[in-house]
Amino acid sequence: MSDILLKITDLHAGIEGREILCGIDLEIRRGEVHAVMGPNGAGKSTLSAVLTGKPQYTVTQGSVEFMGRDLLALSPEERAWAGMFLSFQYPVEIPGVSITNFMKTALNAKRAAAGLEPLKAAEFLKLMREKMAFVQMKPEFAKREVNVGFSGGEKKRNEIFQMAMLDPVLSILDETDSGLDVDALKIVADGVNALRTPEKSAIIITHYQKLLDYVVPDVVHVLKAGRIVRTGGREIIGLIESQGFDQF
Amino acid sequence: MPGHYVDIPVGREGAQVVADRLRQVYILRPGDTCPPLHIVAEKGSRTEVTLVVMPGVDVDIRVDVDLMGEGADLRMAGLYVCGGKERVSVHTRVCHRAPGCSSDQVFTGIAGGGARVAFHGTIVVAPDAQQTQAFQQSRNLLLSQDARVETEPQLEIYADDVKCSHGATVGSLNADEQFYMRSRGVPEAEAKVLQMLSFLSPVLAGLEEKDALAAELEQAIRSIV
Repeated sequence: MSDILLKITDLHAGIEGREILCGIDLEIRRGEVHAVMGPNGAGKSTLSAVLTGKPQYTVTQGSVEFMGRDLLALSPEERAWAGMFLSFQYPVEIPGVSITNFMKTALNAKRAAAGLEPLKAAEFLKLMREKMAFVQMKPEFAKREVNVGFSGGEKKRNEIFQMAMLDPVLSILDETDSGLDVDALKIVADGVNALRTPEKSAIIITHYQKLLDYVVPDVVHVLKAGRIVRTGGREIIGLIESQGFDQF
Repeated sequence: MPGHYVDIPVGREGAQVVADRLRQVYILRPGDTCPPLHIVAEKGSRTEVTLVVMPGVDVDIRVDVDLMGEGADLRMAGLYVCGGKERVSVHTRVCHRAPGCSSDQVFTGIAGGGARVAFHGTIVVAPDAQQTQAFQQSRNLLLSQDARVETEPQLEIYADDVKCSHGATVGSLNADEQFYMRSRGVPEAEAKVLQMLSFLSPVLAGLEEKDALAAELEQAIRSIV
């Protein structure tokens, strides 16, 4: 098994004819946590959207390999089945669809893609209970409609809950720290840290160091105007905190 | 036109007392027809009318309601799922003829294929029907270029102390919602089914028959995706 999980080469992409990513190169090994930091409008969310296959975005140049496969040839659901997960900056509300029903559909589709039988009802409920406890979601949330009437913190916890349920190989956390108070932030960070293993990787997208106090990255990238302008270790976080993004 | 209508008195005083409360549910499946309905609601009565149009039904639905007695209340809900060449038209006319009556109408549905759906809803508030509350909403989802939805709300208000509103929307499946589900591994076709169920859910949630109907509507949706 190759050590390299994700390899992005000269990626150019945009939306509605406007180029937002202007040549991204990035390599993530198994077990690594990468932080992508940058000012508003740098292309951070575009990067997460393109990696997970959001249909409105177009890749105009470059390639992305995920576990040796051509990622860009896969549909969003195929990417999920291959082990990719995006925690949304703005999780979407789905009235009339319960978290249980949603997760059952998602998990069993992933199992089907791997040639596995659907989980038995009792096994599924046990897994749900376990993962909800893990992010300190109350059991009654299982019956709630997806994200409807949730507070900001509850929505983000629901994202981490789903991440734990789907057990991805590569998790992308898009501004997961925005709008969270310290308690919610710690719950989210504990969740992410508990999912860290030598085989799994994460990309933490943020313009803020908050979450990175709790989830310590191995590599830090600075994204600016659609390009990675600096790559290094944790020391970059301190530089950003003291002097902002203008120095890069 | 009274001869064409099925007259349904609700809460009528005197010889023909029906009940203070009337619930009528019409589930139209292929081959079914729906007679024009004329509901006369007397003082203090409660009326609930539900109309569900399953795929493969061509129908012309007419419902006239006269809120004759003070404080009468009407809830009318309509759901449709069309994915072929259906022709569905709905005409409602709700007349507030006495003070303090309330009416709430919601029509919602999904049109795909080459379906044609029309909704014409009129609310009339008579001059002495003060303190009327009348609401009407039409929400429609268009799945294809060839499907057509026409929605025409109309308010005729002759009293001054009233609360009335109407709204109509025709839209398509929300792309962000769909991407959210697909990013979690829900296949595209399944995501669409969930989205459509989600779209119908506000109306469905208010119905007593929701559990039995939900299963049939899910099948109906699957048949047109």
